[in-house]
Amino acid sequence: MSVTNLLDNWAAVRHFHPIDDKPHDPYKWAMAIDLDACIGCNACAVACYAENNLPVVGREKFKHGQVMHWMRIERYWEEDGRDFPDQGFQFLPMMCQQCEAAPCETVCPVGATNHTQDGLNSQIYNRCIGSRYCSANCPFKVRYFNWYDYPTTENVWPAEMNYQLNPDVTVRGKGVMEKCTFCVQRLRAAEVTAKGEGRIVREGEVQTACQQSCPTGAISFGNLVDPESRVHKQWQAQQVDLDKDAQEKNQKEGGTDLRGYRILEELRSYPSVMYLERVRESAV
Amino acid sequence: MHRYLCFPAILAGFLMAVGCYAATDQQPTLTTEDDLGPQVQQPIEFPHYRHAGNRNTVDLTNSDPTKGGMEINCQYCHTYARRSLTAGIPPLQKCVGCHQNIPSVRDKPRIVELFKYWDAKKAIPWKKVHDLPDFVRFNHERHIKRFIEQQGRPVQEVCGYCHGQVKEMTTARRQKPITMGWCVSCHMKEHVVVVANKDGIPEGGTPLGKQAYWYTFQKPAETKNAAGELTAKGPNDCWLCHK
Repeated sequence: MSVTNLLDNWAAVRHFHPIDDKPHDPYKWAMAIDLDACIGCNACAVACYAENNLPVVGREKFKHGQVMHWMRIERYWEEDGRDFPDQGFQFLPMMCQQCEAAPCETVCPVGATNHTQDGLNSQIYNRCIGSRYCSANCPFKVRYFNWYDYPTTENVWPAEMNYQLNPDVTVRGKGVMEKCTFCVQRLRAAEVTAKGEGRIVREGEVQTACQQSCPTGAISFGNLVDPESRVHKQWQAQQVDLDKDAQEKNQKEGGTDLRGYRILEELRSYPSVMYLERVRESAV
Repeated sequence: MHRYLCFPAILAGFLMAVGCYAATDQQPTLTTEDDLGPQVQQPIEFPHYRHAGNRNTVDLTNSDPTKGGMEINCQYCHTYARRSLTAGIPPLQKCVGCHQNIPSVRDKPRIVELFKYWDAKKAIPWKKVHDLPDFVRFNHERHIKRFIEQQGRPVQEVCGYCHGQVKEMTTARRQKPITMGWCVSCHMKEHVVVVANKDGIPEGGTPLGKQAYWYTFQKPAETKNAAGELTAKGPNDCWLCHK
């Protein structure tokens, strides 16, 4: 990319999605997670390990914070004076929020993480040099760094176990950053099939691994642009808009029907994942 | 000049020179030049020219193996190309399926070798010629759909964009660079786009219909070239090939 091109097309190079002149069309992948339905079973995290070739690092490395779970279940305890078994807490499945104005993208020195046209925050392993700047700038702390060469030296996939690796996903080597991709390998396969048939991807045609494995159906995933998709309907019903940092919700005095929110919305990273507040008193 | 100022002055000059060079740098042009890869030794010296090469128009019986080919469609053997990421190497059954009915060449050394593998019930250990790095996922299906099915271009021409003149080779040899810059040089080009007709059927081209965007995952900017034809660039999304 030449300097001329960079200066002439700055708006295109750093294009903020979505903006009025260039809305998402025909795809914007988004998610909605119902925390009331989440039972914290970790099936989503396990499915993610299986789908995305994540190394199981073991107890020691977990203690050092070198765990590689792209999808993690966070626990929030209620500070109400009660002790452990009775103390209420809630689960929060946390993964890359695929921000529209992602803080990680602006700081990458080599452009290894950037925005795709269907609204994903891409991470290109072969371009990554491992500066870890993106992880430092991520408000959700959902980026994971390969401190070890897991495929070979650390032996996380001993002989024959390597046959269970997903061939559609790169097995990352030492020194690159990685994160949730919204199962981009499935999205691309569905998009390419749809493209060949001259249509867009239909609702329900593509699922992420976490969504597929969720026993309570807490996770819904789909095309936010498609008015028929469940995600679109949920976002609409909860009055959550992608491009607003403070949602103009039609809230009633003394209680509300609306449960939808996005995490750290005020930071204006415009995440693509909407959470639905818990209604039950305690998760368990 | 003071010796402490000398180095910064040289550095500034160097940076300016680089800047000027970069500022005048133009968009990449379409790279079509050949870049011959290494000759890969295959277990059987498979004659592509005999199978896929053009027919000998003078000798209608096509008996001389050095002069004419059979014009077999590339996709007859590399059958996965139109429906998957990889083009695929034909299984031994496919070779034998034809060759057990061609007694005239049965005693040729390559065919004898072929039937040795068949009798031993072993697959031929073909070696990869167009070997992309593991982090690159080129999609054959997309390109076949775009060029052959939508635009109706001849198969050998389309395959030749990346694979060169395989129909004139024995065992295949890489002819094009197959580097990312080379791929992108085509994707950065403004290609002419043909709009679908009223019924939504592509008129030998690429439809820019309401729902089907053949180029990118976002509706392409509809630009027009000097001749007034609608053009669009190929996808430039990193996650298409690297994921």
